[in-house]
Amino acid sequence: MITLNDYTPIVGEEVVSQLYRLAERLKGRRFVHINSTAVGGGVAEMLARAIPLLNQLGLETTWEVIMGDPFFFEVTKAFHNGLQGFRVQLTPSMLEHYRQVNLENAKRFAWEADVVMVHDPQPASLIEVLRPQARRWVWRCHVDVSRPHLPVWRFLRKIVRQYDASVFSMPQFAQNLPHPQYLIHPSIDPLSEKNRELTEKEIQTVLYRLGIEKDKPLILQISRFDSFKNPVGVIQAFRLVRRHTPCKLVLAGGEATDDPEGPAILAQVQEAAHGDPDIQVLLLPPDAHHEVNALQRAADLIVQKSTREGFGLTVTEAMWKGKPVIGGAVGGIVLQLRDYHTGFLVQSPEGCAFRIRYLLHRPQLAHRMGQMAREFVRLHFLITRHLRDYLTLLILQANPDRRLVEF
Amino acid sequence: MTEILNQMAANPFWFHECFLMSMPLGKKVVNLRELLDNLREVDESVLFYHLIQSRLLLDQPAAEYPNDFALWAAHALQDTRLAEKLSSFDPFEYQTLGEVRQAVVDILEEYLWDLPFVPWARPGFEFHFCQASVVVMHSLISAHNLKEFCSALTRVGLDSIYYHFFEARWRLGELKSDDFSFWIETNFDLPTLVEDIRSIDVYFYTLKEVRASLVGLIHQHLGELCDHPE
Repeated sequence: MITLNDYTPIVGEEVVSQLYRLAERLKGRRFVHINSTAVGGGVAEMLARAIPLLNQLGLETTWEVIMGDPFFFEVTKAFHNGLQGFRVQLTPSMLEHYRQVNLENAKRFAWEADVVMVHDPQPASLIEVLRPQARRWVWRCHVDVSRPHLPVWRFLRKIVRQYDASVFSMPQFAQNLPHPQYLIHPSIDPLSEKNRELTEKEIQTVLYRLGIEKDKPLILQISRFDSFKNPVGVIQAFRLVRRHTPCKLVLAGGEATDDPEGPAILAQVQEAAHGDPDIQVLLLPPDAHHEVNALQRAADLIVQKSTREGFGLTVTEAMWKGKPVIGGAVGGIVLQLRDYHTGFLVQSPEGCAFRIRYLLHRPQLAHRMGQMAREFVRLHFLITRHLRDYLTLLILQANPDRRLVEF
Repeated sequence: MTEILNQMAANPFWFHECFLMSMPLGKKVVNLRELLDNLREVDESVLFYHLIQSRLLLDQPAAEYPNDFALWAAHALQDTRLAEKLSSFDPFEYQTLGEVRQAVVDILEEYLWDLPFVPWARPGFEFHFCQASVVVMHSLISAHNLKEFCSALTRVGLDSIYYHFFEARWRLGELKSDDFSFWIETNFDLPTLVEDIRSIDVYFYTLKEVRASLVGLIHQHLGELCDHPE
C-alpha cells in the first residue's frame, strides 16, 4: 500500500509533514465524495488515489458512486455538453428521469457526513433529498462551464444554489451563485500506475503488445473519444505535418461508463484514419493505466487539441513525464502551458501542425521545455497539493463565516 | 558582532504556515472601462489577490508581467503599452492598499482618457475577479536568536516565507514592512540590515528567490550563519 511518506522523495519532507499537521485539526471528520463512475475519466482516477490518503490522514473518507440506466447517462451527457456550451435540448421527461434516478440512489445512502462533496451534475440533485445527512454540501464542478447553454445552466443552477459552496477548476468557470466559490486545480498522482517511472523494457513491451513500431517520431493524443477532445482535428494537423516531416500518430483513448457518445465518435475517428498506415487508433480499456504511461513516455510530442476542457489532466500527465505538449487554448490547458516555456497553445489544426513541426526540428528546445513542464507540475499539480486544498477547504467549511482562520 | 549573534531576542520569532484558497467571485469584466469602474469598488482583498497573491499561488516560469492586470492587458486586450504601464507600477511603493487602489485607478483613467476607443477583451478572455481565504497555522519552528532565525529560514516551507514577507504587509497595514524585518528591528540593533531587507525589490521575485535574498542579506551583514537554501 502506498503511504503518504512515499511522496517525500518527490515533493519534499516539509510538504508531507504539513499535511499531517493540517489534518490534526480535522481528525475523525466524516468526508463523503459522490460521483457517477467508479472507473474511467479524470474524476474517478483522482478519487481512487485521494480517498485512501485522506483516510491515512485521519479523516473518515468514503466514496459513493450513483447508478443509472442508459437513458440517465444520456440525460447527464446532455447536461455535460450543455454546460460546455452545446445547444442541447432538454425535455421535461429527461429532467424528471434525472431527478427520479437520483431519488432512487438516495434511498441506498445511509451515511452521515460533516462535509459531502458531490462531483459534477450527475449526482447533484441528491441534495434535494439528502440535505439533512450532511452538515455542509459542496458541489465540485470539473467541466468547463465558462459559457454554458442557458437552459441547461438555468435548470442546474436551481439545484446548485442549494449547496453551501462550490468548487471550480478555473476562475472563468465560476458563476453568479449565492454561496462561496473556491478554486481547486485537479492533480495527478506521481506514484500511480499511470505516472510512475517505467523502465525502457516496460515501455518497449507495451509498444510491442500494442503493435506500435517506433521507426519515426511519435505524436500522441491520449483522451476519451469525445467531440470536445477534437481527435479528428488532430488527424488534420498530423496530415499537415507529414507533408513536410515523416512521423506517426497514435490516438489512444479509454472508455467511461457514463459516456454514451464514445462509440459514435470513435467510429468517426476510425473513418478519418482509415487506410493510413501512420495513424493508429487504439481503444483502451478504462484501466489501461500502464499502457497510457508507456505510450506517453514513448512519445516524442504529446498533443491535447481540445476545444473545451475542464482542466486537461492528460496534459499534466504528459508534462510530468517531461514531454513538450501542444494543447488547445481552452480551459485549464491555458493555465498549464506557457508558449516556449512549458509547451505551446494553439487555436487550430494548422497552428497545431506548425508547432509540431517546430518542435520536431528543435529537439533540444523540446527537451528543455519538457523539463520545465515537469518542475511546474511538481510544484502545483501533484496529489499532495490537492490533499492540502481539500484539508484547507474542510477547515474553511468548519468556519463558514470567516475568510481568515488562525490556529 | 559575536555579541549580537549570541543575543537572545526579547520575543522569539514563531514561524507560521499559511494556506491560501482562491475564491472566484463569479464576476467578470469585458473591457477596460468596466475594469476601471469595478476597481473603484471591489474589496481591498480583491486588489491584493490580483496584485500579489495570484502570482505567488501559481508560480509560472518566466511570467512576462508581474500582476494579473498587466497580464490581462497583454493577453486579453492585446495592448502591450498598457501592460508595460501596469507592470512598472509597484504596489510596495505605497503605504496602504487604499493608496495602491488609487494608483491603479489613476493609471487606467489616464490611459483611457487619451484613447479614442475602449479596449475590449477577446471572447473567452474576460477578467475574472477573485479573492482568497486564508488558513494560518502555528508551525513548530521558532527562533530565539539570529543564528536560529537564519537556519529556520532555510527550513520552513515557502508558504511561511509568503505569510511573513507578503501577507504581513497587508496584515500590518503597512506595505513597506514585513514580519522578518519588524522582528529584527524590535529585537536587535541592526538598522542597516532592516533597511536592506525592506529594500529587496520583491515584485519580480519568486518565493524561492525571496528566501535566497533574505539569507544572502543575513550572510552579508552577519557572516555565514547558516547553510544556503537549495
